[in-house]
Amino acid sequence: MLLGDHDDGSRASPVHRIPLFDEDKQQVNPQVDEEPLPFSTRTTCGDCHSYDIISGGWHFDSAQSNVPAGRRGEPWVMVDRQTRTQIPISNRAWPGVFPPQQAGLTPWLFLRKFGTHVPGGNYGEITDQDDPKYVLRWMISGALPINCLVCHDAAADQDKSEFALQVFQQNYRWAATGSCPFAAVAGDASTLPDTYDPLMGGFSDNPAIKPPVVTYDKTVFDAKGMVFFDIVRQPPARNCYFCHSTQDLEKAGPYKEWTRDEDVHLLAGLTCVDCHRNGLDHMITRGTVDPKQPDLQAKTLTCEGCHLGDPAADSPIAAMGGRLGAPKAAHQGLPPIHFDKLSCTACHSGNWPGKKATLVRTSRIHHLGLHGKHNPEEPLPHIAAPVFALAEDGKITPQKLIWPAYWAYAQGGKVTIIPPEAVKEIAGKILEGNLNEARVDDWNSITREQISQTLTLLAAAGGSGTVSAADGDKAGEPVYVSGGKIYALDEKGALVEKDDDAAEAIAQPYSWPLAHDVRPAAQSLGATGCEDCHSTESAFFYGEVAVDTPVKTEQAALLPMYKLQQIPEPQLNITVNRFFKWLIIITMVVLILHIIGDLFSRLLRRSQ
Amino acid sequence: MENVDLKDIGQQKTFRRFDLQFRIQHIVLFTSVIALIITGIPMWLNLGGADHIWASREVTAAFGGLKAARLIHRWAAAVLIAVSLYHLIYSIVARRGRREFMELLPRFKDVTDVIHNFMYFFGLRTTRPKFSRYSYYEKFDYWAVYWGCVIMIGTGMVLWFPRLAEKCIPWLSYELALEVHADEAILAALALFIWHFYNVHFNPSRFPGTLLWWHGRISREEMLRDHPLELEKLNQEGQADQLAKKVVPGES
Repeated sequence: MLLGDHDDGSRASPVHRIPLFDEDKQQVNPQVDEEPLPFSTRTTCGDCHSYDIISGGWHFDSAQSNVPAGRRGEPWVMVDRQTRTQIPISNRAWPGVFPPQQAGLTPWLFLRKFGTHVPGGNYGEITDQDDPKYVLRWMISGALPINCLVCHDAAADQDKSEFALQVFQQNYRWAATGSCPFAAVAGDASTLPDTYDPLMGGFSDNPAIKPPVVTYDKTVFDAKGMVFFDIVRQPPARNCYFCHSTQDLEKAGPYKEWTRDEDVHLLAGLTCVDCHRNGLDHMITRGTVDPKQPDLQAKTLTCEGCHLGDPAADSPIAAMGGRLGAPKAAHQGLPPIHFDKLSCTACHSGNWPGKKATLVRTSRIHHLGLHGKHNPEEPLPHIAAPVFALAEDGKITPQKLIWPAYWAYAQGGKVTIIPPEAVKEIAGKILEGNLNEARVDDWNSITREQISQTLTLLAAAGGSGTVSAADGDKAGEPVYVSGGKIYALDEKGALVEKDDDAAEAIAQPYSWPLAHDVRPAAQSLGATGCEDCHSTESAFFYGEVAVDTPVKTEQAALLPMYKLQQIPEPQLNITVNRFFKWLIIITMVVLILHIIGDLFSRLLRRSQ
Repeated sequence: MENVDLKDIGQQKTFRRFDLQFRIQHIVLFTSVIALIITGIPMWLNLGGADHIWASREVTAAFGGLKAARLIHRWAAAVLIAVSLYHLIYSIVARRGRREFMELLPRFKDVTDVIHNFMYFFGLRTTRPKFSRYSYYEKFDYWAVYWGCVIMIGTGMVLWFPRLAEKCIPWLSYELALEVHADEAILAALALFIWHFYNVHFNPSRFPGTLLWWHGRISREEMLRDHPLELEKLNQEGQADQLAKKVVPGES
């Protein structure tokens, strides 16, 4: 154990006036160095904190194998407009996502795609496992160690957007330094050729080539060459928000954003890490308890743990509830069956369900928060929320949902993604033809003809070995999956739509639970009565999710929520509704005719 | 017909059609039904969310909110249940009640009266059908209330006591009960305010309205026009009674 791995009981945050070290553990001191190097968080923070233990934490371990996946979570999404794809990517064993390597993403390419919202470590440090053709790039850019500062530096001028932009420019070695207020990093490693030697430098005459250079504010360094960091054990919520924000597109824009309400826990004075805690191992609690990984400590930090208490807990105080001042819900008048069928979040979290699930954007999927590079107009990939669907624990839970769209080879019930770049190489001309047409539901539409032609070319490429499965297996039948459907070619080469086998479920939407923002109790489902959910007007059962697909169809398909909850179609309700509708119409028509007849007869007799 | 002096039937100018019992029942009934309709509207409009229909906010606020509307609705429901049960018991136990119930039973003549009346409406017949104590449309009013009360009280109980209902009648889900309750309420409200109100208030023969529900009396002209067969029957009973008592008309 190192000095910083455990405290001595003092609740005060130790003042971090510390020396900076570069990746070779040499102290960085601009007061003496003419060309100081960027500091490395691995060596600087790792001087006192066991970096190897920390790097096994939840934020940093997805690239590792044999890591328990836990409940489904937010994936990365690989999106490409030309090939009409949106592919949920994750190395975790969540059903419905695809491993990065299957989508052609080596660690280098993974960082290129998703690195702006990665805290470092993970794919940023497995440089030796990458494709050999990226070895030189790693040498130029350096590894991307865990940037402890993005979470633990409470200073308001710790610039996570700058960190992200440095990563975007492949300045991995410089990224943590560039995010600090006392350093400025100029240059762009992505402009450097593969032959660039960081030690030798060169290319100073070529304005297009900009090696990264760091400039420190020397006044920040004290006499011993140490720098102060405002380090806290518990990161403030704004630090978490850089990677964990969700934007509701219904309330987006300069005139509506102010109407969004903050999570009730934060309004009550809590921060994210009051509930989402971890120890040195950084295995952060995720708000629920995985039945496969029961952790009694984590259980006390779930909704039930804090609000209701756990009667089975050993500790009497844990059995009480009311932790951290959490109000103990009486749930007066609520039949207990609701606790079996619904998660807490079903009633308390996310937006009030509307007739149709709306589109949302998230930090990691849509790269939010990048100064100068944010695109408020870009909804793709399309994430719908809230969607009330059955979760893995058998409870109806509000979720975010994406309809995967991808090209793949299917064989033996399994699919292997064809990376979008490979699809573009083979069928780019077919797919770019109508890119300038008006978008439909924000997609660049794809016609059945285009799908058919692309599949034909993919079939030829697969047969010729031009494209094969990532693991070297023989490519199977090319398919295009989109909107819950599988498009393939039959024996005669005609395009057909195939049913998605429930067991294989390659076209099913991928969804993951949402838990925030939590609404106040007075705004929970059921607060105004049972009819909030239990009526044919209710969006909880009868709200709809648009089947998101770029394939041109005559009418956009809508999926009612009760199907995602695996509840039988409420045919009786619908039949009764229709019966009464006709009963009312027929009865009133007859009665009104009677009235009219009576009036008419009076008129007739009066005129005679 | 109560309080009819059969001896003077030939000279009687008004007849008591409904006694105090029935009038009180009717007043209690319509008071509770109107309260139910008025308080049911904001709850119905709020299905699907407070903004489901724009008027719901104003209407709901007029009642002090959903909770107040729900409370009044349940009180009115309790009154309706009480008067319905009273009427049911009265119709079985009391001789008068049984007699009225028998009069209200649908008969084949009602079907012929419907046809006859429609033909009269359109000039295919020169005379109206002759009705006895209750015309077919009055019987319709009565049985529609019966039907409505059974459905509304039954489904209303499911909505009021969902846990008990789930145990006793699990096949009747909350949503189904709510669907039937709301739809039947719409039908009842339309039938009440259009059909029943026309027949008793807006009908040109009665406009601006009858006070029969208040004092229970009906004029001879109305009897002749609307219930001639009953008047005939009373005449016969009066004459029969007079004959039985050997009273000469005009003698006391």
